[in-house]
Amino acid sequence: MEERRAPVRLDARALALVLAAGAAPVAACDLAGSRVLESPRFALAYRTEPPRPGAGEHFAVELRICRPAAGAEGLRVDAHMPEHRHGMNYRPGLVALGGGHYRSEGWLFHMPGEWEFVFELGGERLADGVRIE
Amino acid sequence: MSRALVLALALAAAPPLGAQLLDWTEAERRAILRHGPWPAAWAPDPSNRVSGDPEAIALGERLFFEPRLGATGRVQCATCHVPYRGWQDGRARALGLEEVERNTPGLLDVRYRRWFGWDGAGDSLWAQSIRPILDPREMAGSAARAAALLRGEADYACRYARAFGTPPPAEDERLLAGIGKALAAFQETLVSGRTPFDDFRDALERGEREAAARYPAAAQRGLRLFIGRGRCNLCHLGPAFTNREFHDIGVPFFVAEGGVDAGRHRGIQRLRASPWNLLGPHSDARDAAVALKTRHVRLEHRNFGEFRVPALRNVALTAPYMHSGSLATLRDVVRHYSELNLDRLHADGEALLLPLKLDEGEAADLVAYLDSLTERAPALAPRHPLEPCR
Repeated sequence: MEERRAPVRLDARALALVLAAGAAPVAACDLAGSRVLESPRFALAYRTEPPRPGAGEHFAVELRICRPAAGAEGLRVDAHMPEHRHGMNYRPGLVALGGGHYRSEGWLFHMPGEWEFVFELGGERLADGVRIE
Repeated sequence: MSRALVLALALAAAPPLGAQLLDWTEAERRAILRHGPWPAAWAPDPSNRVSGDPEAIALGERLFFEPRLGATGRVQCATCHVPYRGWQDGRARALGLEEVERNTPGLLDVRYRRWFGWDGAGDSLWAQSIRPILDPREMAGSAARAAALLRGEADYACRYARAFGTPPPAEDERLLAGIGKALAAFQETLVSGRTPFDDFRDALERGEREAAARYPAAAQRGLRLFIGRGRCNLCHLGPAFTNREFHDIGVPFFVAEGGVDAGRHRGIQRLRASPWNLLGPHSDARDAAVALKTRHVRLEHRNFGEFRVPALRNVALTAPYMHSGSLATLRDVVRHYSELNLDRLHADGEALLLPLKLDEGEAADLVAYLDSLTERAPALAPRHPLEPCR
């Protein structure tokens, strides 16, 4: 896994919503070596294990849901290649570890190129691009 | 050393007249280096407790050439996986007791695969090795027949005990799993040798321009197409030239009598129904992570018509090509991608493949490159008759 694109996909309207809502800062939302993604009602930190998965190799994802505080019932995780218009050949599982902390296994990017992690909760969608070598 | 001998050695080591090294960019160089080194690292299969064990390899070798595993005594593994043909049969479609609808894949480098069979219905080499024994069109055997052979013949019972540390068990299915595991241990030893491409790749890595320039110019141009405009390395990646997954590349999947070969779509269903899969009782894996792929594999409509991405090492030895053996030569394969019929793709909107529209020279270069992925000398040691087991 190599360079990443912009960390959070938020357009100008969403950014305005964040500011208007006065969403709580996510300074405490972190895992060592993680990426932080946020929207008005949804914020999370995630990292992959290993940190730089290669094409065709299984990897895991660790997540911490920081917002909403109520929990992450209905959280969905996935990834796809926007350019190729296909997803993964595997459906990652999600196990709650407590305290908003999750472990997701079964990930595999079967091609090199631009992939996008997708996290969905309560109608909010966060995405993060990554280049796989 | 005489001056004539020194001159002769110098000439032998020098690149041929007219040899040239293309002006590879740093990005191309990185892409090329990802296809090696060869042979690639490998670890024994944790789901098979006799993987890598010499006694199991010897047992598996004998079983591979054993026609009595089948119902008629006329078909053995080696009937289709012929050693001197790259461990396949050279036919479009395999012929066991009957002709089936798929091409026989070669077995060299099979140990590096993630899934087995054109549709990936096998999640381990040992499970895949059981399938043709039981298939009524291939060997038409049974667990009871195979188990009786192993229990009833002293040499087999002796070899089994040496490999597994216990006499052949009384339960037929458990013993059949052991037969599959011994067959897998043998097949894991079938590794292809080094190729002209490997010499080029390693010379490039070491910065040895003269050595790299010995690689034919046509193969270099073909390689540039392979990792560039052709984007072949999106799927044919890594040292074995495969992402070990499945794709629809527009090869017709109609079979005789108006049927279709659903490929990966059916393969995942068969995998899930198999008592031999890694989630079942016969896996020796202690770590749940070994079965991760089986637990998480996703069945989708787009899997219809997908087939395993074959490795490309020794590709020149394994004609005909594709899951149905429908393309006779490497030139036909290149023409297929050059003139790809997008209407045949069943990809649910996937935007990956486009016709390459190669001219004659480019097509010849790509064939030259593919040919250079074939070993010039086999890596396998000569095999000797097995000593009786005592």
